[in-house]
Amino acid sequence: MDDYDKTCLESALVGVCNIVQQEWGGAIPCQVVLVTDGCLGIGRGSLRHSLATHNQRSESNRFPLPFPFPSKLYIMCMANLEELQSTDSLDCLERLIDLNNGEGQIFTIDGPLCLKNVQSMFGKLIDLAYTPFHAVLKCGHLTADVQVFPRPEPFVIDEEIDPIPKVINTDLEIVGFIDIADISSPPVLSRHLVLPIALNKEGDEVGTGITDDNEDENSANQIAGKIPNFCVLLHGSLKVEGMVAIVQLGPEWHGMLYSQADSKKKSNLMMSLFEPGPEPLPWLGKMVQLGPISDAKENPYGEDDNKSPFPLQPKNKRSYAQNVTVWIKPSGLQTDVQKILRNARKLPEKTQTFYKELNRLRKAALAFGFLDLLKGVADMLERECTLLPDTAHPDAAFQLTHAAQQLKLASTGTSEYAGYDHNITPLQTDFSGSSAERI
Amino acid sequence: MKIFSESHKTVFVVDHCPYMAESCRQHVEFDMLVKNRTQGIIPLAPISKSLWTCSVESSMEYCRIMYDIFPFKKLVNFIVSDSGAHVLNSWTQEDQNLQELMAALAAVGPPNPRADPECCSILHGLVAAVETLCKITEYQHEARTLLMENAERVGNRGRIICITNAKSDSHVRMLEDCVQETIHEHNKLAANSDHLMQIQKCELVLIHTYPVGEDSLVSDRPKKELSPVLTSEVHSVRAGRHLATKLNILVQQHFDLASTTITNIPMKEEQHANTSANYDVELLHHKDAHVDFLKSGDNHLSGSSREGSFKETITLKWCTPRTNNIGRSVLLEQPRKSGSKVISHMLSSHGGEIFLHVLSSSRSILEDPPSISEGCGGRVTDYRITDFGEFMRENRLTPFLDPRYKIDGSLEIPLERAKDQLEKHTRYWPMIISQTTIFNMQAVVPLASVIVKESLTEEDVLNCQKTIYNLVDMERKNDPLPISTVGTRGKGPKRDEQYRIMWNELETLVRAHINNSEKHQRVLECLMACRSKPPEEEERKKRGRKREDKEDKSEKAVKDYEQEKSWQDSERLKGILERGKEELAEAEIIKDSPDSPEPPNKKPLVEMDETPPVEKSKGPVSLLSLWSNRINTANSRKHQEFAGRLNSVNNRAELYQHLKEENGMETTENGKASRQ
Repeated sequence: MDDYDKTCLESALVGVCNIVQQEWGGAIPCQVVLVTDGCLGIGRGSLRHSLATHNQRSESNRFPLPFPFPSKLYIMCMANLEELQSTDSLDCLERLIDLNNGEGQIFTIDGPLCLKNVQSMFGKLIDLAYTPFHAVLKCGHLTADVQVFPRPEPFVIDEEIDPIPKVINTDLEIVGFIDIADISSPPVLSRHLVLPIALNKEGDEVGTGITDDNEDENSANQIAGKIPNFCVLLHGSLKVEGMVAIVQLGPEWHGMLYSQADSKKKSNLMMSLFEPGPEPLPWLGKMVQLGPISDAKENPYGEDDNKSPFPLQPKNKRSYAQNVTVWIKPSGLQTDVQKILRNARKLPEKTQTFYKELNRLRKAALAFGFLDLLKGVADMLERECTLLPDTAHPDAAFQLTHAAQQLKLASTGTSEYAGYDHNITPLQTDFSGSSAERI
Repeated sequence: MKIFSESHKTVFVVDHCPYMAESCRQHVEFDMLVKNRTQGIIPLAPISKSLWTCSVESSMEYCRIMYDIFPFKKLVNFIVSDSGAHVLNSWTQEDQNLQELMAALAAVGPPNPRADPECCSILHGLVAAVETLCKITEYQHEARTLLMENAERVGNRGRIICITNAKSDSHVRMLEDCVQETIHEHNKLAANSDHLMQIQKCELVLIHTYPVGEDSLVSDRPKKELSPVLTSEVHSVRAGRHLATKLNILVQQHFDLASTTITNIPMKEEQHANTSANYDVELLHHKDAHVDFLKSGDNHLSGSSREGSFKETITLKWCTPRTNNIGRSVLLEQPRKSGSKVISHMLSSHGGEIFLHVLSSSRSILEDPPSISEGCGGRVTDYRITDFGEFMRENRLTPFLDPRYKIDGSLEIPLERAKDQLEKHTRYWPMIISQTTIFNMQAVVPLASVIVKESLTEEDVLNCQKTIYNLVDMERKNDPLPISTVGTRGKGPKRDEQYRIMWNELETLVRAHINNSEKHQRVLECLMACRSKPPEEEERKKRGRKREDKEDKSEKAVKDYEQEKSWQDSERLKGILERGKEELAEAEIIKDSPDSPEPPNKKPLVEMDETPPVEKSKGPVSLLSLWSNRINTANSRKHQEFAGRLNSVNNRAELYQHLKEENGMETTENGKASRQ
């Protein structure tokens, strides 16, 4: 039946699921509000039926809950609690919340069904789910009241050792500034608009300064627009200087403020949240170790602003940033052997590179217990020696013979010759003095 | 996410018994002859790796991947087993790198094929593995110390990856039983120890490896729970590249990794200039980077079957950066069936580390946000954008890697220092140009730039003093000041009133920092001495104000003074001690330096102008206060006669009577001051 005249909550949820994923992907938190009279439908497609068959689903007709995106499911029942409890409706709806990993809540009407009570129910939803996040942006003594939008989501750092979700401070304290080029494009948990707001003495928001149709608000907003606001100053300077402000969001939790242009005319102050922790961006190091440049012996940015203390190099280089030997694929081994051969044929000019590559291969072969390779390469070098043209430098033959001999000794595995830290050094010959000078 | 999951601790137990010296029977051609030299030369016979070499190589590759992606908090303990267990490293972070492990493996060397097989067993290694899993890591220790009474939340789990050559399924079962029993025993020991932890969960991954071409005597078995503490799985794998592939799959499973193949990477220009040569690179990374593909069910983008084993990888295309690219970053494009282009990821390098970023390719929830110019403060047009830019550059951050200590010996936290500096630098910081005079004056810069510092050098103090003398000089020469006329009618305040506003502002700035150091106080003392008189003098001075002052003006001045006095009284209470010194300092500084100008207090105030003085307060003057002062002044006219006029002789009052009294003191103080 394709006529949409039947209560079929599952289809509705599937629809929501698809729309949200198509529009916003799987990472954006989304609040889903389900308005229902509390009736669950009849027969196939009814919620009872959906739940009863929940365990018999395949990948193709997966139940839409839990939603494949961060979500809250709010169920607004146009019925009061007693009505719902008289059947199993409430149980079924509660089951939906459970299926959404407990993310969500059911609202019912207090008292009889009338406009006022429905409004009050939705009022509760608004208070719970749509309260703006107000904060104070601070930079020393410069401050501004702001709204952060969307509301920053609580974050669980480690579900086991620290299961309490962390929320950001309502005091957003700037700790310093960094060039955009230095912070680069850091990974962030979420992005938020930071909107300056005007508060009255009671702390109620009187306006965002944004012009509105309402006349009273309009004048209040116009006044707010003309009062200097720190957000605007900060935004302007961040934009002009190409910098970001590092802001403390809580203990061991930081973020950054920056200017983001929407178009040529429109631009905004934005805040991105880093992942909580002592070192959210490895190339900046530990956040607590960042201090003012005036404490450094000399300005790390240079007198002409031509250098930077960032990025910090990691203590241990990643394997791809060094010459790590991997012979899992035969091509890896062949390349390394070829490199030695190529240099062997250019002896004595390439003496240094030849021994460097030879020692790298030797080290790896010893670590992997691959002594046959050492023998094989020794044989190969001896053969190269016999193939040397008449025009070859006499030193070449000496070095090849010496290297082959040393590899053979290492291949015996005896500690005397097979030390990992031992390096094969070039043979000192009558010719090597002059060749060394050439190198 | 759990820090202390099974992946926190991985123990490798690799069999070092004589049979591991056997060849894997998979040949490696290593003598690849170069084309034009092949004539008449027979290539050397291919060689093959031993079971041991294959095992070590594959486990090193596992560790390499793990260390590259998780440089911290994922730890490996490497154990080699023959007639005993050889533990090659510890859980400490310094021991966690390939170089250390390679050196230790080289010291062990390949297995001795002639050793007595009866003496050798993998069991020694497995027992040692359980033992080492009970040992606390520095991260566990740190977390336990931090959590105090919640220390029990710190889990102790681990994984044992055992590579051996087993004889049969029952042999495998025997190994499993042994591990289970050992865990049981060691957990009892650990219960009574402070530096050991009971094993809560152990994943045993048994890998039976055998030469290519032989029949396996051991069957594969998926993960099975042997006890609440121990699970075990068995993989029967041919040696050689099959073993390496298996460990590559395992490391992806164990650490939630996924594979992305980047295609169309152009060869480096210098080598292949003007060629269209390009190549592919496969990257492993956390599987979160594929989250959008997995959830949208679009994960069959590219499942390639390579080297006989099924390997899932997602292919993304390298988009060669244009000239105005964002630093060391490259965007990656997702090929779509429809032919549309979607930039889904970004590769960037920071300090030699490569990061794969997921870019949002879906609709933004912040569509069409209001511009900042439409919001609060958005209509203000004279923000000190350039000055705040300078402020930001001065407050840039830099890493301090070596610990620094405060005078009291406690550790200094650089980030707290940064916050302190921001606090100091913003004590007086007007946001808009029309709110400030001093920050619009080049002449004030030498003072304003150093007064915010935590401590001043003698040179700084001297520069501040010079700045003040310079201003005094300007005042004497009647140089114009960049006073804003915004919101005032007509030409704005007259020159001497402008100077009064300027001096007040400068005083506010300096006063905000007097508690930083004694030298800051000296700057204030100098300022107070040089600028318009301290209150008592001003009072007397005003009394003796010139006769030619019009009546209404002098009345206003009294009113002014009264306004000012109440403010200054409270100020005086605050700074009563400073004032004491100040009066002494006044004289000393003025005569001290040869280029210091004549004390300005000898210069009579000619007149008070129409514009009433600004309300004295720290901070900028609001339009409202300017206006109400004006009204108040107008209303207060025609009241009291100016004292100076009342006491005048021939319509003339003597000015600066107090100077006579002070002259004596001046000379004595002068000697002392010259030491400065």
